[in-house]
Formats: sequence, structure tokens, C-alpha cells
Amino acid sequence: MLAVENLKKSYHANKTTYEVLKGISLAVDKGEFVAVMGPSGSGKTTLLNCISCYIPADSGSIRLDNIELAALQEFELAEVRIRRLGFVFQDYLLLDGLTVRDNIMLPRIIGGKTDKGMEDATDRLCEVFGISPIKDKFPAEISGGEKQRTAVARALINNPLLILADEPTGNLDSKSSRKVINTFVQARDSLGATIFMVTHDSFAASFCDRVIILRDGTVWRELSRLDKMRGAFHDELLEAIRLMGEANGE
Amino acid sequence: MTSFSQVYAALRKKNIKQYALLAGCCFFSVLLITAYVCMMRSPTILNVLPEGGDSRKQVMMIFVLAVLGCGIFTTYASGLFFRHKSRETGIFMALGASRRQLKGLLTRELALLSFASCAAGAVLGAPLAWLIWRLFRLLLVDTEDMPLSFDPQAYLFALAFSVFVIAMLFIMLSRFIRRTNIIDVVNESRKSEPIREVPRRYGPMGIALLVGGGLLGYLTPSFFINVLHWYPPEGLTSITYLPALIGLYLLLLHTVVNGWRQGKNRYKHIIISSMMKFQGRQTVRNMLVITVLVTGAYFASFYTPMLGTGAMMGFDSRKVDYAFHYRSDQDMPGKDEIERMAAEENVTITSYASQPAAILGIDGQKYIETRGSLGVTYTHEYTELLSSGPFLSESAFNALTGDSLNIAPGVVMAVFDDEGNSNYWMSNDVTLITNPVTSEVLHVASSEQVLSNTMLFGRRVLDDTDYARITEGLTDEWLEEQVFFNVNNVSDTYNFAKRLFYTTTDRSSPEVEVYDSWDPVAKMLADQAGEDYVYDKEYLAENGIDAIDYRQRDSSNFRMFWKYMPQFRVLDKADFIKTTAVFLMLFIFIAIICFAAVIVIAYTRSLTIGLTNAQVYDDLRRLGASNSYLLKTVKGQISKVYFTPIFTGTVIIYAFYAMIMYFNDGGNLSGSELAGMANCLVLIAAGSALLYGVYRFTLRKVCGILNIQC
Repeated sequence: MLAVENLKKSYHANKTTYEVLKGISLAVDKGEFVAVMGPSGSGKTTLLNCISCYIPADSGSIRLDNIELAALQEFELAEVRIRRLGFVFQDYLLLDGLTVRDNIMLPRIIGGKTDKGMEDATDRLCEVFGISPIKDKFPAEISGGEKQRTAVARALINNPLLILADEPTGNLDSKSSRKVINTFVQARDSLGATIFMVTHDSFAASFCDRVIILRDGTVWRELSRLDKMRGAFHDELLEAIRLMGEANGE
Repeated sequence: MTSFSQVYAALRKKNIKQYALLAGCCFFSVLLITAYVCMMRSPTILNVLPEGGDSRKQVMMIFVLAVLGCGIFTTYASGLFFRHKSRETGIFMALGASRRQLKGLLTRELALLSFASCAAGAVLGAPLAWLIWRLFRLLLVDTEDMPLSFDPQAYLFALAFSVFVIAMLFIMLSRFIRRTNIIDVVNESRKSEPIREVPRRYGPMGIALLVGGGLLGYLTPSFFINVLHWYPPEGLTSITYLPALIGLYLLLLHTVVNGWRQGKNRYKHIIISSMMKFQGRQTVRNMLVITVLVTGAYFASFYTPMLGTGAMMGFDSRKVDYAFHYRSDQDMPGKDEIERMAAEENVTITSYASQPAAILGIDGQKYIETRGSLGVTYTHEYTELLSSGPFLSESAFNALTGDSLNIAPGVVMAVFDDEGNSNYWMSNDVTLITNPVTSEVLHVASSEQVLSNTMLFGRRVLDDTDYARITEGLTDEWLEEQVFFNVNNVSDTYNFAKRLFYTTTDRSSPEVEVYDSWDPVAKMLADQAGEDYVYDKEYLAENGIDAIDYRQRDSSNFRMFWKYMPQFRVLDKADFIKTTAVFLMLFIFIAIICFAAVIVIAYTRSLTIGLTNAQVYDDLRRLGASNSYLLKTVKGQISKVYFTPIFTGTVIIYAFYAMIMYFNDGGNLSGSELAGMANCLVLIAAGSALLYGVYRFTLRKVCGILNIQC
């Protein structure tokens, strides 16, 4: 589904070069829910932005469903974003002037696929994620958790190959976080969605099938949940984070 | 909602204020510039403003300032619009909209917005100018000079400015849409634009550069002309004002970023200064534009009080009620006829003096100009017979003035104004006088002491014997009669004054239908050399310049520039506004346009404080800030937007005007200039009151946006 190989990315500021990604390789299979964790500055968000094609990588390869993204023109990348990817952002990025329903339909409208099926699909997603009662409200009138569930529904409206989520629970309280993570789990289980999530939150990551931990722009460790209980997997994650802290001399 | 256009329409409805702001800014800029250019290019105005004259240059200079100001302002408004548009555009991009798709939609929106607002501004510009002018005619003054006509070419300027506004919008759109980093685009509207560290020395440095640059800019042309004998291209002398502009920028930069407060107050005002600081570049640019427009507005406003006060004081201080002079070959009314006419008009003449004068040739320095690649240079060349001047004998001077002057033989005395001041064409350095008919010459020494009498300004006085000798053989066309008389109750003699003025024009022959600059000796020399004389009617007509015309004796051109224009106190005083109406109204019009631009810019800038900082104010409220604290921070910012540039601009232009007045008279301020400057202060008070009213209105609006009680 998604294969990243030897991905490198650096930034330049005040004549200094900061190497953020130092040759990352990873893969995500269809129907998998994968989290990327790591301390601030480890390169999580940069990795996600490269995969989203929001910023170009310096070198390496990103293949989505066997398409090499780095080789695509701008209009082809737009096509990939609209047809094959779905996005969920930390601060939701909903449009204030549109209702919840219109926000969910937005990727279809942008892509020009505005048939009766679009409205049905939207209503179905609202139903699945428990946001039907607020579907005619504007973002300013709903809670953070509801906004994020709207964003997840928007990410799914085009049946994408992959959902890319950047800190989706970062702005939420624990109750709302739980609801949003359940939404992802539901999306994977009932809609067969593949999810690639960047997060700081070990609790949210403990719901994933696999967790990739980054450190200083490289993959430090990968943990698979397999058939472990969520609580046990969470403990394993916390232990890994503790070890990384020790390795960093904290 | 089924199409992207519908999504855009929904968002447009939601963000209608941003669209209205941009459309309003484009509309006002084009409206004001079109109105200005229609007025500036109007034949009504061009007929009155002498070509190459200072007034036309001033009008042009303020126009350039207005164009720059409106141009910068619309660029700012466009930047603000794209900044607000960036979040939704970034979201569209992030979700997969292509640049082509977005560009198409934005182009359609902007094309409609910019074409409609610019077209509305351009179409309504001329009616606005007409309407203001009509109001002047209705409420203030109406003369035969004033019917307004427009030159279709003015619309080319309006069109050019509209094209600039539209082109600038589309260039910004193109740059906006070309941005590749989607994350940056999304975050653009939340990004602050801090100015780099600004050293505190910028404040005093700015003031020093402003003062030094102003002096440099004003004095450099005199240095070039008087010391280097070089008339440099105007662009070059304008550059010398650049340090002043840089100084102004540094001053405003320091005021916005550092502020002038230090110590404890720094913390007291930390919210205000930090909020201003992080909109630094835009704030400073806006303030610069407002400052420049305020200087233009007041520069134009000062014209009326300075001219009016000077003229009114001049009329009042005249030593005689009625004065006129005419060539001796003209059939003018004599004392009997004037007394008869006065009796018919119930006017009593209390004193009457009529004395002969002569027009004689004088020597001087001829300026020989050479046009080169760097402009025009000149050299002096002494010429025995250069031009002409009116001369009086000492007894004629005494008879006219009541003085008892006694001039030594071989000495000539020049007559300056009552305060002993001269102008650029009158000097006391004549050494050789020539009788233009007999070519007889008289060597004289110019007295260092000058005579003071505004009514006889420009005359020269000779010892009686010298006068008799040198004027011997002069024909009537070289002789003049100078008449002075007083009347009882002068203010009640307007009808008589007008009748006498009309009589003098009715009886004057075409030979004396000439400008005051027409010089019979210069004309004679040009004829002898077979050259054109620049003040001849034929030459003026060939060059498209209106000649003096008796049929237009009530026009400002005639009243100001006819060589034999009488000086009748009551007539001049009563008709002053009429005579100078076009000048005065034009400058009032310019002031209105500049003040309107200042108000629109300051109001818009202040509104954006409300629109962009709503979140910050919500946060401050959550942190426990009281209504009065929030009000204080809003006041602090809006008062800075209004008062800093308005105060700076007002001080700059007042000081600059005072400097002009001071150096105009060779280093002193006359009584009429001081009175004029005092009247300018009254005008500043009125202008400041108006702007304060607009500030209060703006404050209420912004408080409304931020839900602050005020």
C-alpha cells in the first residue's frame, strides 16, 4: 500500500542545515492502522507532510499503491490527494462558512464527483460517526471532538487508499480523544480504511496495529500489537518511551 | 451544494466583509484619483494655472503623492485579502484541489470584484469632482472662470490607475497561487510579521534626517541655480528629499516597534506595543502613506489662508484707495472726468495726484542658457541695454507719496514694498539708463538705500534734473501717467470702482492689451534681431497660451496679469475671492481629496485591527482582562494609527511651510506671513477636530467588532 524508502529531508535556516529525516524506510499494508510516535523534533510531522506531498523530500522514494509520488507533476499530485488520500489535521481545518455536511462533501465537490451517491455517503458517514444530529451546524457551533469526527468523515468520503492523520487528538480532552480514536478504529473495521497517524499520545497509539517510533530522523523501533490486549500494548509503548528517554540521557 | 463555485459562493457570503473591504479600497482609490485627475487636467484649471508655474507643480506633486498613497494602500488591502483567503485556499490544496482549479475560481472572483469596483470608481470620479465643484460654486463663489469642463484625456490617467490596481491584484494572485508549501499557505493568516530588531537610535536619527533632509531638499535647488548656475532636471532635485523620507520611515518604525516610552510604562503598554509590533511592516507602511497624504492635504489647505491673509492685509495696508497707471498715448479719463463720474456715483474724492512716469531702458546681467545632457546651465553677460523699467522724478515721487525725497544727481533709488522687500525681478543694481527713442544714456549709481512703497513697487526714482535730461525726446508710448487718489467711505465705492475699471479697459487700445511681463525694450530688441518676442499675442497663440483679452476683464487671468491693472482697494478686496476662485477652490478640492484618502486609509487600517485580533481579545478576556483594560488597548492601537502619522505629517508640513516663508524673504517672516501662519494654525485645529471625530467613530466601530463597551 505505502512504501517509504530511504527518505531524506533537511531544512535550511540562517546558513545552517538541519537534517530532519535521515533516510527513513517503512511500509504500511492495506487495512492497517499505524501510528508514528517520537519526541518533538524527531521528524514525525515532516514525514507525514512528505507522504502527503505538502512538502517535497530531498531524496528517497514514496510509493503509494505502486505510484512513485516524487515523480508526479503538481496536477497529478492534486489528483492523488483527491482520489487516493484522506487527511485529518490537528486543528481540523474545517471551513467555517460551510456546514458539517458540506465540509464532509468538500473532497467530492473539489473532485467533481457530485452525484446523489455523495449525499448518501455523507449521511452514512454521519450516521457511523454519530454526528448526524449536528450535520447542519457550522463548525463554530460544535465541540472539538465533533469537529475532528467531521474531519475523519471528510477524509473518508472519497474512499481513499490511505488516511493520513496529524496529531488528531492533540487539541482534544481525553473523552473526545477516545471518541475520535474509536472513529478511526470503526473506519478500519467497518470501512476497511488504512490509517497512518502521527501522534504524541501513547494512549491513542495503543489502539493501533503497529507503532513506529522515530528518534532524530530515523526509525528507532517498531512495535506490533498482534493479539495483545490494548492495556498491555500501552504499557509496552510506555516502556519503549522510557527507554528512549534513558538513551537520550533524560 | 454540488459544485466548487457554490462552495466559493457560500464562503464569500461568510467572508463578505473581506470582499467589501477590498472592493471598497479599490473603489475609493480609483474614485479619488479619477476625481483628482479630472480636476487637474480640466481645461478650466489648466487655463488658470500657468504652464511651468509653481501652482501647477504643486498640484502635480500632491497628485504624485496621492497616487503613491492610494497605490500602496490598495496593495495593502489586496495583501490583507489574500492573507484572509490563504486558510481556505490552503485547505482546498491540502484536500486535493489543483492550482489551476483554484486559480480559475479566484480569477473569476477577483476579475468581477476589481473590474466592478474600479469601473464604478472611474465612472463616478468625474461626477464627484463636478459635484464638489458645483457645491463650491453654489455655496462659496461663482465666477465666469469657474464652469467646469473635463478633458477626455483625464480618463486615460484614470484608466491607467485602474489598470495598475487590477494588474497588481492579479500579480498578487499569481504569486499567491504559485506558493508550493501547502502548510505555509494554511498557516499564512495566523502568521505575524515581526520587524527585525530596531535600534533605539532610529528615533532620534529619523528626526535628524527628517529635518536635515527637508532643509537639504529645499535649499539644494537654490544652491544649484545660484552657485553652480545649473537648472538641474526636476527629478534630480526631488531626490534630495529622499533623506527626509528615509528619516520619516525610521521615525515611524521606531514609534511602532520600540515606542518612545521606557521604564515602567513599557510594561503598562506591553499589549498595545506588541500587537502593533507584530503587524509592523504593514502598520509602518500605512502610517507612512497617511503622513504623506496629511502633508499633501495641509499643503493644499494652507494655500487659501496664506494667499487670503496676505492679500487682505495687503489691501488694508495700501496707502491710497485708488491707484492706476496708463500709457500717455491712451485716451484715459482725466481728473475732471473721474470727479464727474465719482459725483454720479455719490463718491467724494478727497485727494488726487497724477504724475508722469517714463519707461526707460536699463542695463543688467543677461542670462544665457545652454541646454546640455544634465539640464540647463547659464552664464551671465553684462548688457548695457537689457530691459525696461518705469522711472519717476523725485518731485513726482514726492507729489504721489507726500515724502520730501531729495536724490543726488547721478543716483537712482529703487522702490521696494512697504516692508523693504523685493522679488526676483526687481533689483537696485542699475548703472546705465537708456532713452529708447534717442539712445541717450545716463550713467548712475544705485543707492544702497531703497524706498519703501508697495503702491509704487518696481519703480525707480531719479533726481529731477537727471530725469528731465534722460526722458527728453520720449514719445507718448514710452511715457506713463501715475494716478493716486483717496475717497470718503471707500468701502461704499464699489460701483464707482467697477465703473472706473471698466472705463479704463474700454478706453485702452489693443497695443496695451498685454501681460505685465511684456517689456517694450525687450520687444524692441527682439524685433531688431528679427526674433520672436515671447509675450507677443501671436507667439502666445502659436504656443497655445491665452493672451490678455479685454473681453475677459473679470477673469482671474486678466485681473492678475494685465500690465495696467488698476489697484482699487474696494474692487480688489470685494472681488478677491472671485479673482482667485479657481486657484482657491482647486486647492480646497485637493485638500478634500487628500483628507478623504487619509480617512479611508486610517479607518480601514483600524478596522483590520478589529478583524484580525478578535482571537487575541477573546484570549485576553479569558485571562481576566476587564472591559476598561481592553478598551485601553484598542484605544492605544487606533490612536497610534491616527495620531502618530497625523501629528507627524502636520508638524512636518507646518515647519516646512514656515521654512518656505522664512527663506522666501531672504531670512525673515513678514507680518502678513505671520498672520497667514496663524490662520493656518486655526485650519489645523479644524482639520484635527474633524479627524478626531473620525477617530471616535472608528473607535466605536472597532469596539463593536470586538464586543468591547466604549
